[in-house]
Amino acid sequence: MLKNYIKIALRNLWKKKGYSTLNIFGLAIGITCASLILLWVEDEMSFDTVVADQELVYSVPTNQKYDGQWRTFFQATPGPLAAALKAEIPEITQAARLRSTDFLFSLNSSSVSSSGSFADADIFEILNLKFIEGKASEAFRVKEGIVITQKVAKILFEDPTNLLGKTILIDQKDNFKITGVVEDLPENTTYSFNWLVPFENFTYDKPWTQEYGSNFTETFVKLSAGADFNSVNEKVKGVLPAKTGDEDTQAILHSAKNWHLRSDFKNGKVVGGRIEYVQLFSFIALIIVLIACINFMNLSTARSEKRANEVGVRKTLGSDKKQLIFQFITEALLTALLAAVLSVLVLILILPAFNALIDKQLSLGITIPSHLLSLLAITLICGILAGLYPAFYLSSFKPIDVLKGNRIQAKGAGFIRKGLVITQFVISIIFIISTLLVYQQVQHVKNRDLGMNKENLIQIPVNGNVIKNRNSITESLKNSGMITSVGLSNSNILSAGNNGSGLKWQGGDNTEDVLVSYRYINDEYLTAAGIELVEGRGFSSVVSNDSANALITESFAKLMGTESPIGKTIDRYGDVYTIIGVTNDYLYGDMYGTSDPVMFFNYPPEAQYMYIKTNPKYAATEILNTIETTLKTYNPGYPFKYRFVDDDFNARFKSEQLVGSLSQIFALLAILISCLGLFGLSAFTAEQRRKEIGVRKVLGSSVAGIVRLLSKDFIVLVLIAIVIAVPVAWFMMHNWLQGFAYRISINVWVFAVAGIAAIGIALLTVSFQAIKAAIANPVKSLRTE
Amino acid sequence: MIKITDLEKYYATEEVRTIALNKLSFQVQKGEFVAVMGPSGCGKSTLLNILGLLDDPDGGSFIFNGIEVAGFNERKRADLRKHNIGFVFQSFNLIDELTVFENVELPLIYTGVKPAERKARVDEVLEKMQIMHRRKHFPQQLSGGQQQRVAVARAVVNNPKLILADEPTGNLDSSNGNEVMDLLTELNEAGTTIIMVTHSEHDAKYSHRIIRMLDGQKVTENVLTEYKSNTLEV
Repeated sequence: MLKNYIKIALRNLWKKKGYSTLNIFGLAIGITCASLILLWVEDEMSFDTVVADQELVYSVPTNQKYDGQWRTFFQATPGPLAAALKAEIPEITQAARLRSTDFLFSLNSSSVSSSGSFADADIFEILNLKFIEGKASEAFRVKEGIVITQKVAKILFEDPTNLLGKTILIDQKDNFKITGVVEDLPENTTYSFNWLVPFENFTYDKPWTQEYGSNFTETFVKLSAGADFNSVNEKVKGVLPAKTGDEDTQAILHSAKNWHLRSDFKNGKVVGGRIEYVQLFSFIALIIVLIACINFMNLSTARSEKRANEVGVRKTLGSDKKQLIFQFITEALLTALLAAVLSVLVLILILPAFNALIDKQLSLGITIPSHLLSLLAITLICGILAGLYPAFYLSSFKPIDVLKGNRIQAKGAGFIRKGLVITQFVISIIFIISTLLVYQQVQHVKNRDLGMNKENLIQIPVNGNVIKNRNSITESLKNSGMITSVGLSNSNILSAGNNGSGLKWQGGDNTEDVLVSYRYINDEYLTAAGIELVEGRGFSSVVSNDSANALITESFAKLMGTESPIGKTIDRYGDVYTIIGVTNDYLYGDMYGTSDPVMFFNYPPEAQYMYIKTNPKYAATEILNTIETTLKTYNPGYPFKYRFVDDDFNARFKSEQLVGSLSQIFALLAILISCLGLFGLSAFTAEQRRKEIGVRKVLGSSVAGIVRLLSKDFIVLVLIAIVIAVPVAWFMMHNWLQGFAYRISINVWVFAVAGIAAIGIALLTVSFQAIKAAIANPVKSLRTE
Repeated sequence: MIKITDLEKYYATEEVRTIALNKLSFQVQKGEFVAVMGPSGCGKSTLLNILGLLDDPDGGSFIFNGIEVAGFNERKRADLRKHNIGFVFQSFNLIDELTVFENVELPLIYTGVKPAERKARVDEVLEKMQIMHRRKHFPQQLSGGQQQRVAVARAVVNNPKLILADEPTGNLDSSNGNEVMDLLTELNEAGTTIIMVTHSEHDAKYSHRIIRMLDGQKVTENVLTEYKSNTLEV
């Protein structure tokens, strides 16, 4: 029986190549989309699975209260916290600190810069690092021990085996002995590093790291099996207030299960994160599969008259409804299977491009049982979803009606078919509108006046002798004529960076509650960054002249009252600074947010970054060559690393860009699938109305009249879809935009564009068939009746 | 074999109720060949559909092989039908996507006959209908007469007790038509009961008895050949 079904299904597919192609292509696009999204979702969901006992492992961020609201900070715990947690809370069996940095490794004559971390030995167990050489228990016995990953081992050594005891020169001054080689961490790891050295290497010359006053490190803990999270979390919350007497800073536990997908905090609690994108795109995958299935349903039921005879005969010969349903579902499954095969081929072709787009390394891995099963599951769902309605519809035909040659009056089916077409277009239009608005919003923020100038600005990390030779470097760069100013700052210009509260000044209430960002800069920083002085003067090039002076931004000045702040003082933990100038506000940290107050100090030795403003008359390569040569002269041995600030700025919109490009792609595909369906349906309608068209032409109708006649019905459907889609899209996008402080207002023209686009696309699709039918010779169509 | 009493069937639309069968009664003996004639719309096809268990009567009694079948649900009707009744249609109603062999094989599949036996029985009947050489062809590749021979082959492959033929020669030229009528006669002579709806006086003459209908009622009955069933049954 099954053989018979498959045989007839294949022959049907072959006989109606046009319809089959539409069906298979539509489903293949659906399956391809769903597979891509599932691969991405799988990757997102698999983050940090390398950590064994995920449910027992936690990072420890801090909640800090400002203006009555909790704000959550990662990488912000005091040095002694880890040890205290382990000592005071019995359920915590392991605790470790981690602070990342870059090292310059030198071996023989070659040097390579690599990122890694200062760490405590418990981190090996907490993050489940697998030692290939050495032992976790012994690796950090000596301060100058270093544990490297296989990747680094392969870069540094020709023969990356038997490395224990070998020496590497770090930052051109310290010799470290390799005490362990660990397996590389997979790509989907939140906390990754290329090497680890004992934390002592960071703290030994910094007494402040032993105090509770400074938050500078990340802390991780592992609980004993069976420990109750809530009770441990409460205990953890109590530790910092007990040490500092400050109830407004509490450490909390953040589960390894949530590191990647749920890391957005609001008022001290996890509210979401990337999981929202995972859910959104899973939903989109489902929607795309659904509209692909709708095509199949529509084309199958539209063609039902052709199949009706077969249903009648089969029923007369003794087939019951169940057998027919089974037969039609078999057909749908077969179509879905062919579509799946096609989509695997397509996936192989497009996965590299998709990877480039989403910046991941996904592989199809069709031989991996879970992947194969997923693909089969999608295929099965597609086949059943697409086949169920046609199967029930077709199998319900009464043989006497069919065999008598009565035309199948499927009013219900026509209604459902129209409903399905409307559904497809509603989805497509919502996609178009969302895509336009996401794009607008991202552009809106990108074109926003930042209060600084990111163009022609190069950022270089400060390391080695840069600070020592900063005057010579600046002079040499400026002499080239390619560089106009060289600024130094302790913080990335775009990042939130170093901040704190507890300042005291005259003219404000609760001034100690205000969170202020601190920037340690040099005299040229403001010029290089394009931040303008609105009042007073900037810093002197002689650091000592302004060591007790400070600059503030306008928003800070406002907090100090309406009169000029110049000459007023600010008390920062006992040090008193006199304000000598006010700059305009500029944006940093959250690019969608507002410009928070900043206080600048004239102290270049703290600098982590050099900002070089270039002369746009010169080519970028020429400028970079000049900078590299200069740095090689004054800071030899360090590889030349740079970033353009505007690139860095663009990179901050990665998730939005990703959502933007993905929604563009899915919008296009949704439209494409819908059009395939519409194309098929219009072909069917044209065929069904051949005789009518013939009669009309004989009676004198023009080609245009016929095209209008055939297109009209479909355009009405698209119009209905627009009416439904617009409020839904408005509601969705309005909600999405509420998440941004700096956002666009939704313009009516977006809906107009989407509507016109949908009508245009539908018209184009339908008119092809309509014109074909309209220009056909009427004699032919009348004769065949 | 068949006994219908006061059989009624209505077709109702929103505005009109049409009576298709109006208290129709007659019997058909096992082995008999009956022709049903009458103008278009007299209820012949409705009658055939009810006799073929494709449709349900609205009133009256229908006894098939001693069992009252009026009121059977669709599943029961389908079951009875596939084991007992073969159909021959005016428009052949072969499935275009199946070959001659597969078309004829179909009823055997639905009655659950094993593949080896199916092949033997299909071959046998194709041989008998003299279309063995066309077994791998698709219906569109055959002439009308050949298609109807395939349809007859399909109707008899399950050895049905009753063959219902609806204008079997309606789409055929006279020589092909005669061939098909000869085939039906042969089947009848071999013991199969046949009820045939026709417009053709010529074809009707092949039967034992002609029932003439008008407006859903039996008008006359002409016995052409006295038919004596060797077993007496209703």
